Amino acid sequence: MSVLSDQGAAQPISILLVEDDAPTLWRLQDALAKAGFHVTSAATLAEARASLAQSGPKVLLTDLQLPDGHGNELIRETRQRYPDTEIMVISILGDEESVISAITVGATGYLLKDAFPTDIAATVRELVAGHSPISASIARFIVRRTQSTAEPPPGPPLNTAKLTPREIDILWGIAKGFSYAEIAGHLGLSRQTVPGHIKNIYRKLEVHTRGEAVFEALQQGLIRL
Amino acid sequence: MSDAAPTTASSGRRRWPKRATLLVQYLLLQPFIIVLCLVVLRIPPPEPSPRYLVTDFSLRENGVEQSVTLPHFTASRYTMNDPPLYNGRFTRPGSEPQGAWSVMLPRFTNGVEVAVNGVVILDSRRNPAANRPDRNTPEIAVIPASLLRDGANDLSIRLFVWGPITGFLDRLFVGPDEMLRPSYNARTLLFVTLPVVFSAWQAILAVILGIMWAMRRHEPAYGVLAAAMAIGVTQAFFQTPLQDSAYSRLNSMLISAAPLESAFVLTFALLFFGWKWPRYGWVIFVPGLVVAAATMVGDATLSRKAFLLVGAPAVGLCLIALAVVAGHSVWRRQDAASVMLGCALTIVLTCWALDLLSVFQLVPNRRILLARLSYSAMLVAIGAALTWRFARALNQVDGFAASMVTLVREAEEKLKASFVREEERARAAALARERTRLMRDLHDGLGGQLVSIVALSERGNAGAGIGDAARAALKDLRLVIDSMDDIGGDLMLALGSWRERVTAQLRPHDIALVWRAVGPQGLPVHPELRPWHVIQIVRLLDEAVTNAVKHAGARRITVSIETSSDAQGVDEGIARGRITIEDDGKGFEPGPNGEAAAGQHAARGLRNMRSRAARCGAELELTSDAGGTRVRLTLPRRFPDSDAAAG
Repeated sequence: MSVLSDQGAAQPISILLVEDDAPTLWRLQDALAKAGFHVTSAATLAEARASLAQSGPKVLLTDLQLPDGHGNELIRETRQRYPDTEIMVISILGDEESVISAITVGATGYLLKDAFPTDIAATVRELVAGHSPISASIARFIVRRTQSTAEPPPGPPLNTAKLTPREIDILWGIAKGFSYAEIAGHLGLSRQTVPGHIKNIYRKLEVHTRGEAVFEALQQGLIRL
Repeated sequence: MSDAAPTTASSGRRRWPKRATLLVQYLLLQPFIIVLCLVVLRIPPPEPSPRYLVTDFSLRENGVEQSVTLPHFTASRYTMNDPPLYNGRFTRPGSEPQGAWSVMLPRFTNGVEVAVNGVVILDSRRNPAANRPDRNTPEIAVIPASLLRDGANDLSIRLFVWGPITGFLDRLFVGPDEMLRPSYNARTLLFVTLPVVFSAWQAILAVILGIMWAMRRHEPAYGVLAAAMAIGVTQAFFQTPLQDSAYSRLNSMLISAAPLESAFVLTFALLFFGWKWPRYGWVIFVPGLVVAAATMVGDATLSRKAFLLVGAPAVGLCLIALAVVAGHSVWRRQDAASVMLGCALTIVLTCWALDLLSVFQLVPNRRILLARLSYSAMLVAIGAALTWRFARALNQVDGFAASMVTLVREAEEKLKASFVREEERARAAALARERTRLMRDLHDGLGGQLVSIVALSERGNAGAGIGDAARAALKDLRLVIDSMDDIGGDLMLALGSWRERVTAQLRPHDIALVWRAVGPQGLPVHPELRPWHVIQIVRLLDEAVTNAVKHAGARRITVSIETSSDAQGVDEGIARGRITIEDDGKGFEPGPNGEAAAGQHAARGLRNMRSRAARCGAELELTSDAGGTRVRLTLPRRFPDSDAAAG
């Protein structure tokens, strides 16, 4: 039903899909195309860059391990050159190692490679609507980083200094498997505001430039001049 | 010598020959020292040229006149009246240069009054040092020029004697002052100044030892030696009185100083060399106290007699006891201090014996008494030994500190190394355990699913089956990876991920998932929760959901998470978590063992669920009827440490 409504829109949403594994690419492409998206595909970083240069897509879906480089490079470039483009990372396991590192360079969501076709389309649509998906394990990883420990915990570096206590509470709720409605109920929020909070959280975790990274490290006392 | 045996018999036996050799060496050394003493003491004290000797006198004593040649001994007396009077004459040749002439008396006991040509020029009783028979004080007097005649001059000497020792007058010299003075000075240096120096040293030693004892009360040996030194100093600087005075009685007590001092020194030696204090040890103080008592009750005569009869032998006995103690110490401790003290004691003993022989005129002599002087020399040796020991103790402290630093550093390094080793071992063990667990988990889930994918793909026409199996495999992989994360004992964090997976699993089957978590906390936190507990619980829940999907034909699955508040839980103080999975499917008939009668597969699933619950110490409750199935898992109060049921 939702597919029909999308088709009804004047301009189909354009998606750049970067994936080097052909069967996975076909699967994702099929799922998105059936849902009415306009999908352009690329199998390498170079192809993706060329495609980006031709047209700035509304959504970038990219795998991380690409034959000629890492997907994070593409995410960072896209984030800088096309700030309006929503970026999602395609992950096999949705593990924090890949997803968090993509978030810090500008991604605002992730997609599991084996997700059901309807879920794939739904997730992208949600993202375009401003609702970033987040999994319990990613939320758990982020809130654990907010707890100060003597040793830096394993995993990709992450600066959680900008998160507000409310945002951390939301992350806790997600980590424990509560739905957005339940979290909103526990925290006294409106259910509709929770997805917005999550997108904010992603934005706050993003490290925009090298200079900003140094500035934040200084502020947190991680490095001393 | 049995008490000298060391604590460990074996080591003592091994050291026996070495000890014996040392003792023999020490004992052989003593006669040598004695002989050496005798040889040294045979060297005559300095004397002027025999040219100025005056030896022929006529002695009038007790009304009897006789001719004598010096040196001369007279009988012991106890009165100052009518002392022996020596009359002689000397000649001053006219050819001699006109210089001052003197009379020099190298040695006398106890006092002299010298008159030249009938005029008294010297009374030694004014000189306190000269009144002490144990100091060999010489006297010299310049003859006033007006008295001196060219040619013959009269010389008369009154010899005052107070008992108990006999009177003695050595050869005397009359001649130019410049010829006599050097040997007088040499004798004064030897017999007057040197003892004063030694006494001053003794005083310093008394102070040092006193301080030492004050700071180290647990070593009474130093206090005792300080007391001995103090007594010696008092004795040396207070004078023996001749005339009765207000303090004479008190002063005369000083005569008891020598036996007391020797008793104190003996006490010191006993304590210093680690002897057990003998039960009747106080006996050694008795002679000194007896002499002191004699001076208190009797007159000077009695006190002097007491001294000679009791005091002097007591000193000798103390010296002999000291020598024995020193010898024993040489045997037992084999240290330089013992040998040094022993040798010094031999010297003192030799001098003391010679003095005794001299006093009783048992050997030809000139009555030069050296016991006191040699004792002072021994004190110098004691002082030196103590200082040496103190310095060595300081060095040992330094060495100890340095070696402690080294030891601590070594221990630290060892500890660090062993800690690192231990840590590595622990890490290796943890890694091995983790690997084992991972292998088992992968084998249980992923392995089986991959095998079924292989089997399905070989059949060729089972596309959907392959997809399901592969999906299950991915799901299980995520579970295994997820379970390795540290969730800090909060099972809710694991259930959060599980909910996502179940939601994804149920969506294509169009089954609704109702998630009911009571309160924001949900389940109690279990700090002892381990990844393998999480895997077992999540697999158990998965099994329940899979059964509901595959066999029950359910349209709705409800997961309720709560913390039990039954009486039992409250009593224990730890609430128990409870997870309930209900479906609205057609249910099954539990067999006699609670196993499902319907289908081989479901039966195996139920058996698995029971086994997993048992491994985590959780209780599993299964109810099923036509209206649906309910699986209730009650978590334990405490998760078991070891996976006892694993196998």
